[in-house]
Amino acid sequence: MANNTTSDFVTLVSSDGFEFVISRSAACVSGTIRRMLDPASKFSEALTGRCNLETLSGVVLEKVCEYFLYNEKHKDQTNVPDMDVPPELCLELLMAADYLDT
Amino acid sequence: MAAMRARQKIRAPRRGLNAAQNDNYDSLWGILSSSLTEIHTKNASTLSFEELYRNAYRIVLMTRGPELYENVKRQEENWLRGTVQKRITDSISSTLVRAQAATEIQDQSEERRAAGEKFLSAFKEAWEDHQLCMSMITDVLMYMDRIISQDKSKPSIYVVAMALFRDYVLRAPIRADSPTSVADILESTVLFMISLERAGHIIERPLARHCISMLEGLYESEAEEGEKLYISTFEPAFLKTSKEFYQAEGRRLLEIGDSTTFCRISSQRIVEEQERCLSTLALMTEPKILEVLDNELIRKNIDEVVKLEGTGVKHMLDHNLLEGLRNIYQLNARVDPKKESLARAVNKQIVELGKEINASSVVIPQTATVTATATREAKEASTEKKEKGKEKPVNQQTVLAIQWVDDILALKRQFDIVWEQSFLSDQGLQSSIMGSFSDFINLNPRSSEYLSLFFDENLKKGIKGKTESEVDALLDNGITLLRYIKDKDLFETYYKKHLSRRLLMKRSASTDAERQMISKMKMEVGNQFTTRIEAMFKDMTVSEDLTAGYKSHIARSADPDRKPVDLEINVLTSTMWPMEIMANTKEGVVQLPCIFPREIEGLKQSFEKFYLDKHSGRKLSWQAGMGTADIRMTFKRSNGKVQRHELNVSTYMMVILLLFNDFPDDESLSFEEIEERTRIPKHDLIRNLQSLSLVSKTRILKKAPMSKEVKPTDRFSFNHEFQSSFVKVRIGVVAGAKVEDQEQRKDTEKKQAEERGGSIEAAIVRIMKQRKKLTHSQLMTETLTQLSTRFVPDVAMVKKRIESLIDREYMERLSEEPPTYGYVA
Repeated sequence: MANNTTSDFVTLVSSDGFEFVISRSAACVSGTIRRMLDPASKFSEALTGRCNLETLSGVVLEKVCEYFLYNEKHKDQTNVPDMDVPPELCLELLMAADYLDT
Repeated sequence: MAAMRARQKIRAPRRGLNAAQNDNYDSLWGILSSSLTEIHTKNASTLSFEELYRNAYRIVLMTRGPELYENVKRQEENWLRGTVQKRITDSISSTLVRAQAATEIQDQSEERRAAGEKFLSAFKEAWEDHQLCMSMITDVLMYMDRIISQDKSKPSIYVVAMALFRDYVLRAPIRADSPTSVADILESTVLFMISLERAGHIIERPLARHCISMLEGLYESEAEEGEKLYISTFEPAFLKTSKEFYQAEGRRLLEIGDSTTFCRISSQRIVEEQERCLSTLALMTEPKILEVLDNELIRKNIDEVVKLEGTGVKHMLDHNLLEGLRNIYQLNARVDPKKESLARAVNKQIVELGKEINASSVVIPQTATVTATATREAKEASTEKKEKGKEKPVNQQTVLAIQWVDDILALKRQFDIVWEQSFLSDQGLQSSIMGSFSDFINLNPRSSEYLSLFFDENLKKGIKGKTESEVDALLDNGITLLRYIKDKDLFETYYKKHLSRRLLMKRSASTDAERQMISKMKMEVGNQFTTRIEAMFKDMTVSEDLTAGYKSHIARSADPDRKPVDLEINVLTSTMWPMEIMANTKEGVVQLPCIFPREIEGLKQSFEKFYLDKHSGRKLSWQAGMGTADIRMTFKRSNGKVQRHELNVSTYMMVILLLFNDFPDDESLSFEEIEERTRIPKHDLIRNLQSLSLVSKTRILKKAPMSKEVKPTDRFSFNHEFQSSFVKVRIGVVAGAKVEDQEQRKDTEKKQAEERGGSIEAAIVRIMKQRKKLTHSQLMTETLTQLSTRFVPDVAMVKKRIESLIDREYMERLSEEPPTYGYVA
């Protein structure tokens, strides 16, 4: 979709084909994605603005995107409300966090 | 319940994804390795970051991270060694290699420059590529870095790659088996560019800047802890060449021999180097290179520059080149907070000019206008003047004295301007300038006298017609000079002498100005200094009251028969007034008081009675030498006519003239007879008779024989043929403000020495009373400090006084080694 490198939105694709369109700044909460999209390094993701995340399932990626937005919304604040994390996902989310350097 | 449910729902993550396919290390590495090459050859756009990252991630999860680390390292090494190194060495042309040895700039500079620029840009490109690729690779290997670098305290792959660049590119020999490395070439090329720029060429600064920043980015050792390459290799080399350059520059500029040029170029160089550090090199080099510049260019040469014949500081001072002086000042200030060489030159110049002024005050210039009037006196017995066999008018000396002060003030003003504008009101230089003024002023033994004369002259007539502020400025100027004079007590003596003449002869132009002067002196040199002068003023006011009181007293008890004689009296406290006036002893012989004529004697006794009634227990001693009298004289012309004149004469003259009242008109008196009848001191008598009989305008007495000198055998008779177009005639004695002749001067000095002796003893006793016990050296220092505000005591004199105090048992010797004294109560 978004093939413009300077676009404000990027597309994250899960291993099972779900696509999430999310603002670039929110996506860059993840260190991995930030590097992936760094315009200076001319990887294909940076050029197309589309990231195929083979390691993440749609369910997990959805939660991850939710976290990205949550993180961005409450950046530099104290006393933020807890985010709801379903217990059945928490281990997979932990691994995703490790992978994404979040 | 909740815990139960949670346990049910938590599932182990599906590991299948991680281990599923491609979990073979070699195949994973194969993909990565080829991708790295792609990155280096700038084909990254075909690669998926996610894939590479995932691969690296897997490898690390397979706990084969270290293996990956080593592999990447090896691959980078091969890449750098194989491709980049070759690219760089190829760009080094033979010109650069040859030039590396040669030091001369001019040699094939164009060729070398082109080659240098080519090399630098190739180098820059390689470095930039490497940086970019490495940052990409690091991104891909981020997961590995995160796990390995922190766990096993290995440097991150990026740092390692940078170090590899240093080792395999920068430190690579340019040719196989050549000792010169790429770094050497780089260094010499950059230095060459800088030297080109110093020589006035324009170079590509960004290029050089780039290489420098690379050096700044690389470290000496493996870990990023050691010194940066820039500091360890390039900077010393840069400073060394700069040093050589500025040494040569200094020599070259000195050869040109123009201090203005030197200053201009030096300041320019300073700006240039600052700018260079900003735009080409590193900021941290700035203080270092400026230090080199200060040392090599300025410190070693400033002395020479200051002394340069014809253009140095002397020349600038002579021609008032404030701009140049300011430059020199600023340069000197860079290297020496005390600015010694400049101060030395300025001082030398001041003292030289000062000596000229001193000298001109001694030698009478031929052009000096002769202002001498009726009064003449034998000149100071300098041999030169004796040869001429002429009496020089004394007033000329006075004029010279005042000229001297004016000259000094002019000089001072000139240097004040220089100080303010060129030396930026520098504190240290001010005191050094003051010091040199003080030096040459004190070189003139008569400075105190001259300065006092200057005040005398100004207070007598100088301030007439001037506004208050002008007077103020004038006095301030004088006071400034007073500050420089060391022998303040001598000045006080002269000032008192001149002041007393002004007061008693009513010559002072303005009492306000006098008071102003005193308060200024008080501020400058302290209370003690002015107490006696103030007391003199007090005596004057008291005397006015006294005179008024006496007049009303006479009016009340008027004796109608007597002709009233107006008496205006000044009662002076003997200790406060100058000694010459008070002294009635001369050279040990007690001078008997002058014999007054009958009329005056009666008046005198009547006043004494009046005064002593008021203040019993006091003793009045009459000082006729300082008084004046108005007398009315009747001249009988030979043709029978009678002419009256009112004469304003000194008291002594009045006494002499009244003598002739008692004698027939044609009677004459010899000098000796007059002396005997009046008991006027011989010295004064001669002077008064000279005024009365030698000066043509006021010849009231005839002298036989007519000669210029008054001899004891001369006879005097009344001159009825005295002619004057005025009714009132003023007959002056030798007027007040004169430079002393040799004899008077010796006299003053002797008295001064006595007074100083007293002051010294007083100081010693004060100190001993307080301290009880002191060693000799301590006592000496304390005494000298105490007295330094008034004069500079002679050490021998102080010693003599100590001896004398011991003899008189005010003090005692307590021990010999070290010599110690004790106070005897």
